[in-house]
Amino acid sequence: MSGSKGGPGADASANALELLLHRLRLRPAYSTDPGLPADPAAIARQVQSDDDLLARFAAAATAAGTPVESVPAAAVSATVVSLLKEHGARTVLLSPLAGSALSVAEAEDLGRALREAGLQTTLATDDDTLFSVDAAVTGVIAAVAESGTIVCPSGPGSARGASLIPPIHVALVGSGQLLPDLCDYLAGLSAQGELPANLSLISGPSKTADIEGVLVTGVHGPGQLHVLIVR
Amino acid sequence: MTRNTGFHQRVAAAVADHRLRTAVRKATWQKVEAREGSLACLRNSGELRELAARIRQHTLARLPDYLEQFARNACARGAVIHFAPDAATACQTVVELARYYGSKLAVKVKSMTTEEIGLNAVLEAVGVQVVETDLGEFVVQIDRDRPSHIVTPIIHKDRRQIAEAISRRLGCEYTEDPVGLTRIIRRHLREIFRRCDLGISGVNFAVAETGTICICTNEGNGRMCTTRPRVHVAIMGIEKVVPRLCDLVVFLKLLSRSSTGQPLGSYTSLIAGPKRPGDPDGPEHLHIILLDNGRSAVLASPFAEVLCCVRCGACLNACPVYRAIGGHAYNSVYPGPIGSVLMPLLDSSGKHADLPGASSLCGACRVACPVDIDIPGLLIRLRAAQRRGQSWLKRTMMRLWGVTMRSDPTYRLGQRLLKRLLPDEGDGWTVRGLCPLARWTSARDLLRPPLKSFRQLWQEGQV
Repeated sequence: MSGSKGGPGADASANALELLLHRLRLRPAYSTDPGLPADPAAIARQVQSDDDLLARFAAAATAAGTPVESVPAAAVSATVVSLLKEHGARTVLLSPLAGSALSVAEAEDLGRALREAGLQTTLATDDDTLFSVDAAVTGVIAAVAESGTIVCPSGPGSARGASLIPPIHVALVGSGQLLPDLCDYLAGLSAQGELPANLSLISGPSKTADIEGVLVTGVHGPGQLHVLIVR
Repeated sequence: MTRNTGFHQRVAAAVADHRLRTAVRKATWQKVEAREGSLACLRNSGELRELAARIRQHTLARLPDYLEQFARNACARGAVIHFAPDAATACQTVVELARYYGSKLAVKVKSMTTEEIGLNAVLEAVGVQVVETDLGEFVVQIDRDRPSHIVTPIIHKDRRQIAEAISRRLGCEYTEDPVGLTRIIRRHLREIFRRCDLGISGVNFAVAETGTICICTNEGNGRMCTTRPRVHVAIMGIEKVVPRLCDLVVFLKLLSRSSTGQPLGSYTSLIAGPKRPGDPDGPEHLHIILLDNGRSAVLASPFAEVLCCVRCGACLNACPVYRAIGGHAYNSVYPGPIGSVLMPLLDSSGKHADLPGASSLCGACRVACPVDIDIPGLLIRLRAAQRRGQSWLKRTMMRLWGVTMRSDPTYRLGQRLLKRLLPDEGDGWTVRGLCPLARWTSARDLLRPPLKSFRQLWQEGQV
């Protein structure tokens, strides 16, 4: 059960696991097996594909604390510039993602527009950069209308820290990336073959209500998440 | 009744603590309303709940197969699987891993499983500094307190107590403002997140078909702890597995709604192995410790249903007993209704033998449970299983009660006797019963029997 570089105790505990499985199999099974439902999505689905996905997404995201704006592709740069300036960001990390609304080419265009507007941009993902920039702009691999969720994957050139560490996160979502329901995303995932090491389903800014139930944003992750739907 | 005194004293102290009761009551009602509101937005919350229960029951019935499948797939994606039959082995495994990788500063995601095995103390003892990063758990840790709720660890504290703890332990300016307090903690933990070298988490769900582990947080500390350090150790109870990603959806839809009233928490991380070649960041090593610690014995017992629990905390918020006494009075890792079932089963030392009694059996916990666990039924069966341990007085009284209720003449005799034992104190209630009912009425007011019973009125033709 362990790889060649399993670290301490891995082989012994693999044997122990075999023993447990063996013991569990010998025991009488838990009550009666009701059987595995063939298609949980039939019941779990809340949003249908013919619903107004943009409206559903915007409503759910807004409720989770994420302002959503729908912009034509030509206006993305100008919108990001004004958004970042409005919130006082001066240094911006661009984290392009192939196949998203922020491809490498689009990130170059956006970077140029940001620099022309007086902002500093970077593509670096080292610790000093991640912990010092004011904002990050990323693409996503999917978005879910039901819960106002965006999905950011790990991968070559795609730092997990980009959507996590800077105080402001701007996510660009292609309107074709909008899926109706969480079922659509996760069920499709297992058919897609290899999964990235990390998938972050992000629904709103970082938040807590631990102190007397008062909602506070920006605990460890971004205090602000903005989503631009690119038409 | 000596074994009861500790629990009874803690309950009496909690009930007398006005600040505690106010804080807990306010927070739990807020959560009950949020949960009900968000479930009402589902088109079929009842059906979804039945579906969730069915998937959990099926998984438990086939647990060995799914565990094996999960372990195989997680290994194939580069994770190393360990198995710990008990808490001590689990802690020892983490200690050995910390030594192996030379870890000195561990950051932790909030995890009930690590509370259960008492991991922090063990790591600190071997020189590994452990920092809790959930805001509530962080306050608990620096204030040397204990969490009192599965989801909201500092539900028992008001903002003044939190402010005092923060300013005293961190030596910063005093503020009671939740935003200000959060900023202080963010600044403090950011530095830790830059330096940490070991991330420790629990696991909300593990997906057998892909070997994925799923971690849900709102603050983003779950992502920080599984991104920043070069080693990630995840500790999961063996019951956490779900068969497929399409089954995971069902639980994700119910978990956040049941615990905080959100359709989905801010961050749901799906982790399939350590960082891949080309990934700019993420842990180089992922170790998953499968923890038994009594669970396989529970699975083979008549109480196996309790293993369906997804730790949402809804039953705590819904419970009138929890709302009155808070979590500390239970003196257990898992408080509230689910804890009252789980603790005596996981820990057979008898330390938690009183907990099944900490319920009025009103059934609010079952109504709130997203996987339809029959908590009141389990509590009743636990009480029955513990009958042997009860005092002779209680057993005798219960036997007398049984005899009295079963035949007509003894019932009538009992009725007459009861009127004498329960003196009327003016408003129809008895606050102080006579011996042997004194002990009963010390904690409960009893409605006095009416002067004339229904039977008498019937005989006199008045009804």
